[in-house]
Amino acid sequence: MRLKIFWRIVIFLIVSAGALVMLLPFYWMVVTSISPAPEIIAFPPRWIPSHIVWDHFREAWSRAPWLVYYKNSLIVATVSVMCSVVFGIFAGYAFAVYRFPFQNLFFLLILGTLMVPVQVTSVALYVFLARLGWVDTYQGILAPNFASAFAVYLIRQSVQTVPAELLDAARIDGAGEVQIIFRIVVPLIKPVLAAVAMLLFLSSWNDFLWPVIVINSEHMRTLPVGIALFKDPYGFINYGPLMAATVISIAPMLIAYALSQRFMIRGIAMTGMRF
Amino acid sequence: MYRPQKWILQAIQRGYRRHYVHAYLFISPVLLVFGLFRVWPALQTLYFSFYRVELASHRLVYVGLENFIDLFHDDIFLGAVINTFLYAFAIVPISAAAGLILAVLFNERFPAKELLKGVYFAPMVTSTVAAAVVWWWLYNPQYGLFNAILRLLHLPPSPWLLSTKTALLSIVLFSIWKTVGYNMVIYIAGLQAIPSEFYEAATIDGASSIQQFWRITVPLLAPVTTFILIYNGIFAFQVFDQVLVLTGGGPANATNVIVLEIYRQAFQRYRFGYAAAEAMVLFLLILIITIIQFRTSRRFEVTY
Repeated sequence: MRLKIFWRIVIFLIVSAGALVMLLPFYWMVVTSISPAPEIIAFPPRWIPSHIVWDHFREAWSRAPWLVYYKNSLIVATVSVMCSVVFGIFAGYAFAVYRFPFQNLFFLLILGTLMVPVQVTSVALYVFLARLGWVDTYQGILAPNFASAFAVYLIRQSVQTVPAELLDAARIDGAGEVQIIFRIVVPLIKPVLAAVAMLLFLSSWNDFLWPVIVINSEHMRTLPVGIALFKDPYGFINYGPLMAATVISIAPMLIAYALSQRFMIRGIAMTGMRF
Repeated sequence: MYRPQKWILQAIQRGYRRHYVHAYLFISPVLLVFGLFRVWPALQTLYFSFYRVELASHRLVYVGLENFIDLFHDDIFLGAVINTFLYAFAIVPISAAAGLILAVLFNERFPAKELLKGVYFAPMVTSTVAAAVVWWWLYNPQYGLFNAILRLLHLPPSPWLLSTKTALLSIVLFSIWKTVGYNMVIYIAGLQAIPSEFYEAATIDGASSIQQFWRITVPLLAPVTTFILIYNGIFAFQVFDQVLVLTGGGPANATNVIVLEIYRQAFQRYRFGYAAAEAMVLFLLILIITIIQFRTSRRFEVTY
């Protein structure tokens, strides 16, 4: 018994030490963003600033339109999640409940898009959107993310667990298919829908490659594009404002994460989705 | 036995007959947007790879296999392929192994478990770009924290991102930090599915914890490992964000990777046809790796 407690303490210490290493970049980001300029580059490193200065935040805030970036990220992520979830509910329901010609072909086609990510298709997608006049617009940023193969797949899986008798009973009572979806199916699969929506939001919020390709003007930038281009003019040593900018750009998501940590981790474990 | 009335059966049947229309109606939004923005560009990519594309004048010049032939003589592209392989072969097994070890440790009971789990997972929810900006500062050879710590430990400083020898390794380190939480969470879910009787029986038979790890945990997690290796492998071949922020592919293309090379050819040099050919190579690599991993890992799968 005493041996067991000993091992528990050892494991706790190992895991805690690892956690400190994991936290180090976050910690140093915050310390750099509030330290007086000379202390940022001092040796030995100043782990705790002598006093807190807000100058870096003031400079970072004035150098880029962060509220515009927030707004763009929020619009893109919200529309992407809403479309993906609503389209996913309809398609997932259809694939789970109905039998129809070419069903498997269509399903494989949708899953097949996972093998051809935007990293592969970006060139042709850009040419296509340029012809539509969608470059540097919200619909251009959203184009590859109006629907999610993952959402269709996961929603189909969970609709399959809904007993068919329940749906038939509703049909006999005269409910239409759309009514059945929103009155019966959606309430039953809510946990999956919430997890899918949360993960899609995260992936859209942090998405970088496609937005940086399709966005040209400053007022269309999302947060990741904004922070990447904020870094560029800093060839010289001015890390205070740069770290303040990263704090500004990731703080909302980290706070949301701190408040809903269990929910987010459970969502990953439930769906296996990575972003 | 209860038999449903005839009119009920008819109603259900009528319902099912209607359902072709419903089915196609319900899947049409997904098919439409995927068709337009995923399938069509995928086919176009294949098509463009045989052409020289002049976007400004809307002109396509057929060049046959010229793009692909050029690719195999393009040292920068071949270097990018090699770097991508090196990156994938480093990050995928290390991150999976670290995730497995963490998951096993988290299977024990100790205080503040959920909080600590949350800490390991935090980099996963952070934007790769923003996190990479922070690491870019940590990696600064003169003032960065990493070299300061090395100096405190009386170890020689490293040039990190500035040397062709250490730059790719530095990106791998960043990516391990970024992704280990995901693998940990997936493995924890896998561990919870292993019945505790297996361990109890093994303990009674006198198996040590190390033996139990290799003989019970690892084989029973093989399907999870397969999933993690394939999934992380696909992601590793698409690495872009952290490379662009940390090194931009430098120094001397030492960290250039395939997606970055596609990005440069298409959107900095406007060689869309050539970039499309590179994208086809990337697609084939992802496809081949997935098939190989499926084949080989199935051999190691065990069921009790």
